[in-house]
Amino acid sequence: MPQKISASLQENLAYLQNNFAASDDFYTKPLQISGICCAVAMFTGVSSAERLCHLALDMLDRDPAVWQGGAGLCRYLLQQSRIPTEPTPAEDWQSAAEFLSNGMTLLFIEGFAGAVVLSTQDMPGRSVGTPLGEGNLRGAQDAFTEHLRSNLSLLRRQFRSGTLVAEIATARCRAKTEYCLCYDRTLAPPELVDALRQKLAEIEIPILLDSAYFASFFKQDKLNLFPAAAYTERPATVCARLCEGKLAVLVAGSPYALVVPGFFAEHFECLDDYSSGAVFAGLIRLLKYLAFLLAVFAPGLYVMSVAFTPEIIPLQLLAKLAQGEQATPLPPMLEMLGVTLLLEIVREAGLRAPQSISHTVSLVGALILGETAVSAGILSVPILITAAAATIATLAVPSLYEQTILFRFAVIVLAGCFGVPGFAAAAVTVLAMACGSEPFGYDYLYPLMPPGPAAWRDGFVRSIWSRLARAGEVIGRDEA
Amino acid sequence: MKRDAPDVSAALLMGLLSNVLLRSQTAYEPRAGFFAALLCVPVLAAASGLFARGFAQPGVGQAAALPLAALLVFSCVLEILRLAALLQRLYPGSIRLSAVCLLLLLPVLYLRRGSALSQCAYAVLCGSVWTGVLLLVSAAPFLRLPNLSAHPLTLPQLGAAAADQLTLYPEYLLPALCAAPQKPNPRTAGRLAALALGADVGAHFLLALFYGDAMFWQADPLHAAARSGGISVFHRLDWLQLAVWVIAVTLKIALYLYAVTRLAGGEERKNATPLRHFPLFIGGVCFLCVLFRKLELTAAFRLRSTLCWLLVGTVIAGGGLVSLCQKGSPR
Repeated sequence: MPQKISASLQENLAYLQNNFAASDDFYTKPLQISGICCAVAMFTGVSSAERLCHLALDMLDRDPAVWQGGAGLCRYLLQQSRIPTEPTPAEDWQSAAEFLSNGMTLLFIEGFAGAVVLSTQDMPGRSVGTPLGEGNLRGAQDAFTEHLRSNLSLLRRQFRSGTLVAEIATARCRAKTEYCLCYDRTLAPPELVDALRQKLAEIEIPILLDSAYFASFFKQDKLNLFPAAAYTERPATVCARLCEGKLAVLVAGSPYALVVPGFFAEHFECLDDYSSGAVFAGLIRLLKYLAFLLAVFAPGLYVMSVAFTPEIIPLQLLAKLAQGEQATPLPPMLEMLGVTLLLEIVREAGLRAPQSISHTVSLVGALILGETAVSAGILSVPILITAAAATIATLAVPSLYEQTILFRFAVIVLAGCFGVPGFAAAAVTVLAMACGSEPFGYDYLYPLMPPGPAAWRDGFVRSIWSRLARAGEVIGRDEA
Repeated sequence: MKRDAPDVSAALLMGLLSNVLLRSQTAYEPRAGFFAALLCVPVLAAASGLFARGFAQPGVGQAAALPLAALLVFSCVLEILRLAALLQRLYPGSIRLSAVCLLLLLPVLYLRRGSALSQCAYAVLCGSVWTGVLLLVSAAPFLRLPNLSAHPLTLPQLGAAAADQLTLYPEYLLPALCAAPQKPNPRTAGRLAALALGADVGAHFLLALFYGDAMFWQADPLHAAARSGGISVFHRLDWLQLAVWVIAVTLKIALYLYAVTRLAGGEERKNATPLRHFPLFIGGVCFLCVLFRKLELTAAFRLRSTLCWLLVGTVIAGGGLVSLCQKGSPR
C-alpha cells in the first residue's frame, strides 16, 4: 500500500527532502499563494520552471478569486481555473514520484492531503526524423521518436478518427516505463484487446527499454523462432495495421511500435507496395519471397549438392564447381559455415564500430579477406558467391534477418551432415515453425495458408486497389 | 484466420498421398486400378464412415482408444523404417537409422498443435502438387502412349488391383477423432478415399506411360522416373522428390501423434500434445524403431492393414450393438 501524502506541508517538505534532495536536479520551493502556504516540486531536466511561472503562478497571482483554505485552492485549480493541471491530484507518494519523473510539477498546499499536478513538461528530445530501417520511396516519411506523447500525436495525425483508442499504462518494471496500447475500437476484436491488455499488465520485467521486450511474452511456443509481433518505426504503417483491426503497443523511449498480431506475410509487405502499380508490386513481393528462400536454403542446397548429390548438377557446372573445390582443404560444409560466420562478423563489426571506421571494416572484411582467402586457396569462389548472394538476399526482408541467419546455419549443418533428408528435415522444421507460431490464436501464415482468394488479393501478390478496397482485410471478420 | 477447431483433412489427405509416393513397387495395371477404384472408393468410405459412427457410440470409443493408439504408434515406427529402408536403397551407407529417426521426429516438435498441423499440411500439399507438376514436366518427353497395355483386362488383374486398393490405412480411421463426435461427416471419408485412390491410379497410369510393361519389375519406380528428367540448373529432380517424401512422412508422424494425443488426453489436451510428453514420444518411437529394425516391411504393412480392418469390424459391430441396445431400452 503506497504511503499517502500528508495534509501538513511541513511533513511533505520533510519527505521530499529525505527522498529526493540527494538528486541535484530536484527543485523545491516553498511559496505563498494569496496567503496560503504552498510548495512546488519538480525535476529541472524534464520540467520547465519558466513554464511553471507563466502558466501557473502568474495566472494565480492575477486571479482575483478568494479561496477558503488549501482545499478551496485545490478545488479551484482542478475545476475552475484555466491553469493546465491533471484532472485528479496525486494522493500518494508513489504516484507523486511518477508524476515528477514524467516532468510534471507538484503543488503541495497546506491543509490538503495531496498534490495538484501541473503540466509543465519540457523534455529535451530528438525531433521527428525519417525512418532509418524501413526504406520507402513514397508515402509519409516521418518516423517515431523516443517520446511516447510525440509518437501518439504522430499516430493521431495519421489516424484522424474518433475510434482510435490510446490506453497509457505503466509497465511493471523498475524504471516505471510507460507504454501505450492503441487500437481502433470498432475494428479490433474485443477479446484480442482484452487478452493483450491483460498480458501487458501481467508482464513483470526488470527493465523495459524497447517495445521488442514484450514480444517474447506473446509467444505461445517459446521454442519457436518466428516473432509473434511485427515492428515498425513508421506511423503510417501502424495506421494501416490499425485499419486491419490489429493493435499497436508504443513504449516510452522506443522509436519502434509493436504490432500485434504479426503475420508472416507482413514481413514481405511495405508501404511502397500500395503506392506503386499492382503488377510491379506483385512482382516485387514474389521476388522478396524468392529472396527469403534463397537466403535460407541456397547455401545448404549448394553444400548438399556438392557433398552428397553431385549427379543433380549439370556436367559443365559440376566441372567448374569441382575445379573450385579441388583447391580448398576444407569440406564444403565447413567452408560454407566459415564464410557465413565471417560475413556475420563483418556485418556485426560494421554495425557496432564507430561510424567513421565502419566502412573500412566492411571493406577490409568483404573485399580483402575474401579475395585473399580465394587467392590462398582456403576458400572456393562458388562458396563465396553463394554465401554473398544469400547475405544480399537476406537484406531484402530485413525484418526476418535474425530468423534467416539462424535457419541458414541449421540448413547448412543438416544438409551438410545428412544430405537430402537433412535438407528436407530443415525445410520442414522451418515450415513447421511458421505454422506453429500462433500469435494470440491467429494463424501466422494467414493469408498465405490455407490457400484461398485472400492469398492472391494481398498475400503472395497485391491485387488492384479497387479489389483491395472492396475486400478490406480485418482480422476479426473471418473468425470461426 | 483464427480457428478454434482446426481442420486436419489436408493432413489426412497428405498422409494418404504419401503412401502413393512411397511405393516401392507398382501393384496393378492402371486400367484395372481405375475399374477397381470404382468399387473400392465406396467400400473404404463406408468403412471409414461406419467406423466413425461406431466410435462415437458411448463406451465403444473408449474401448477402441487403446488399440487404435497402439496401431498408430506401430504405424509411426513402420513409416520411419520404410523411409530408412528407402534411403538405404537410394544412398547406401549415407545415413543411419538413428539419424533418420532424429530428422523425422524433431520437426514434429513444432507440429504438436492441431492448427499447426493443419496449416503445415496445406503448405506441404501445395508444395507436393507443384513438385508433382515439375516432375511431370521434366519427365514429359519420356512418356509414351504406346507403352500403355492394349491387352484385354483379366479378372486376376482386377482382383490384384482391388486387393491393393483395399489396404486400409490408419488415416481412414482418423476422421472419427477429428470430426465432432456426434456428427461424423460421411463426405470427408468419401472425398479422402476418392482423392487417395485417384492419385494412386494416376501415378500408376503415368508409370505405365513411362515404363510400359516393365513397370512391375522396377524398384522405387517414381524415384527412378524422377531421375530421368531435369529442369533449369538441376540435372535430375529425384532429390526434390526425396525431400517431399521426407516432409510427407514427417507430417504423417505428426498426424499420428496428434491422433494419439486426442485419444489419450482429456478436454484440455485435445488440440495439442504437451511439450513435456515429447521426450517420451521421441524416445519410445526411437526404441521401437531399433527393436523392429529387422522387420519384414511388406508383411508388416499387410499386418497393419489387417489389424485396421479388424478394428473397424469390431468397432462397427460394437457400435451397432450399443445402438440396438439404446433403441431397445425403455425411455
